[in-house]
Amino acid sequence: MTRRKNPELSMSSKNTPKANERRRDLLKLGLGAAVAAPVLSVAGNVSANTVQTNAHIVISGAGAGGLAMANRFARSLPGARITIIDAREDHHYQPGWTLVASGVWDKKKTLSKTGEWIPSRVNWVRGMVTEYDPDNNRVTVSNGDTIDYDYLIVACGLQLRYERVEGMDTNLIGQGKGVGSVYASIDAAAVTYDEISRWIQKGSGTGLFNLPPTALKCAGAPLKMTFTTLSRLEDTGRRDNFNVEFMTPSGGLFGVPFYNDFVKQRFTDQGVVRNDFWTLTGIDADAKKAYYSVRDGEDQVKDYDFIHVVPPMTAPDALLNSPLKFADDSPFSDWMEVDRETLQNPNYPNVWGIGDVMGMPSNKTAASVKMQASVLEQNFLAYLQDQPLPARHNGYTSCPLITGIGKAMLVEFGWDSKLLPSFSFIDPKEESWTVWVMKERMLRPAYYAMLEGKI
Amino acid sequence: MSLTGIITVLWYSALPWLWLIALMIVLFLVPQILGRMKGYTFSSTGGIGSKVLPPIVFVAALFLLPIHTQSTIGYVNTWVDWLNLIGASIGCGIYAWLVLHPICYMRNRTA
Repeated sequence: MTRRKNPELSMSSKNTPKANERRRDLLKLGLGAAVAAPVLSVAGNVSANTVQTNAHIVISGAGAGGLAMANRFARSLPGARITIIDAREDHHYQPGWTLVASGVWDKKKTLSKTGEWIPSRVNWVRGMVTEYDPDNNRVTVSNGDTIDYDYLIVACGLQLRYERVEGMDTNLIGQGKGVGSVYASIDAAAVTYDEISRWIQKGSGTGLFNLPPTALKCAGAPLKMTFTTLSRLEDTGRRDNFNVEFMTPSGGLFGVPFYNDFVKQRFTDQGVVRNDFWTLTGIDADAKKAYYSVRDGEDQVKDYDFIHVVPPMTAPDALLNSPLKFADDSPFSDWMEVDRETLQNPNYPNVWGIGDVMGMPSNKTAASVKMQASVLEQNFLAYLQDQPLPARHNGYTSCPLITGIGKAMLVEFGWDSKLLPSFSFIDPKEESWTVWVMKERMLRPAYYAMLEGKI
Repeated sequence: MSLTGIITVLWYSALPWLWLIALMIVLFLVPQILGRMKGYTFSSTGGIGSKVLPPIVFVAALFLLPIHTQSTIGYVNTWVDWLNLIGASIGCGIYAWLVLHPICYMRNRTA
């Protein structure tokens, strides 16, 4: 492994937004000092060990995974040079986007500044990785920099492939043409709410809700959007005037059999027409028509008044064009290759992954990142010390499945769909107001605690 | 989730509401301190307000707390839901009594 000193780093360190961080720290100190002392003595940092190193660690991506690792490494690796690469000035609490698109939250509630979450000793390079060169321990950044590393953490998230739905353009979302999509951006989520409202105000018509033919982040979001829209339709008192249909490319609605059956039954009870093995291939926004390929059947065309488009998703192109991806004959060929339990790339052991970019059966949620961050930190520290990797990711992921505006189920599971409830007193198979309150009031603070490496 | 993790999340959840917690503490302390300077104790005779309003606050909270969370009492479903709702409503009722009881005492004393 080559280890080079990178002159670019001193340049990028000038951009570290220390002012934001200081403001945040002062705010917290000012507000909470008196109350915080006894609490924080218990609720401290979760890093178990520290390791002295002068290695250069590069983190590609400042989303949930990248920021969680930056904060953890900033504490557990004194002496290390840490660089995080991301162009985005805004940080989005994406688990809140369905609440925005359902009219429960204002979009401001999901926004913060990336710089607020980056520790002062971490260099922030503003750009996106455009090329991974693990043979030379180097990444190329969109701003023209090339950065050498000793260790690389790939946390660049995924790429939304709207272009694979013919005629679809994110600019169509919320433009009065009946097109919505909660995934595209926070603004798209907000105008998706407006688009659904227009459909409801119309008083009748057909709404089409879709799943993509690929793995997807927050796999419950398409279901949540359907359930919250059903709540709104039922609140009009004219539910029967509206036709709601749900399309599934795989024939399944949810990866865990119990919840799959639950949602199927609930759809039946709430009058949702299911079209299994239908894949959205194109839309004609002006004519309000959706085009579907149907497994073992003829292609279909559906008229709609509202359509919720969920795009196919893959790892970003930069990763797909690198040796870090799974082999083409793998079921995860569109994703980064890691050992799903250690999170280490098997071909380049100094490269690790976290978050949506990794090829796994599920695990594209913020809750997964919380678990992965702990596993990755423990294993990475052990690897630095030439010790066996001690931690194993159990596949934990979680989805507070909103089944209506005001109620939800706390779905938590791991590999092989095994249920992994965090709280013994919360029945994971029951709809609950408490779970809704957790989703609406507590998961965002929990997410921010995770970003700071506190949980 | 570990106890430390739960406490951490609770602390982060409370952060945006510290101003409200502080305001509630002030609203609690001011009548308590003023009342005690004039001989008030918890066993003192209050007034109609401290007898009637806390139960009203309790009952109102049963309905208003779910609404405050953009839900409805109709979705309070599991025993944990009921425990949380009744516990929070009792808390609101007790808080109302702690604020109103010394106020009623001082009002009676003045009258």
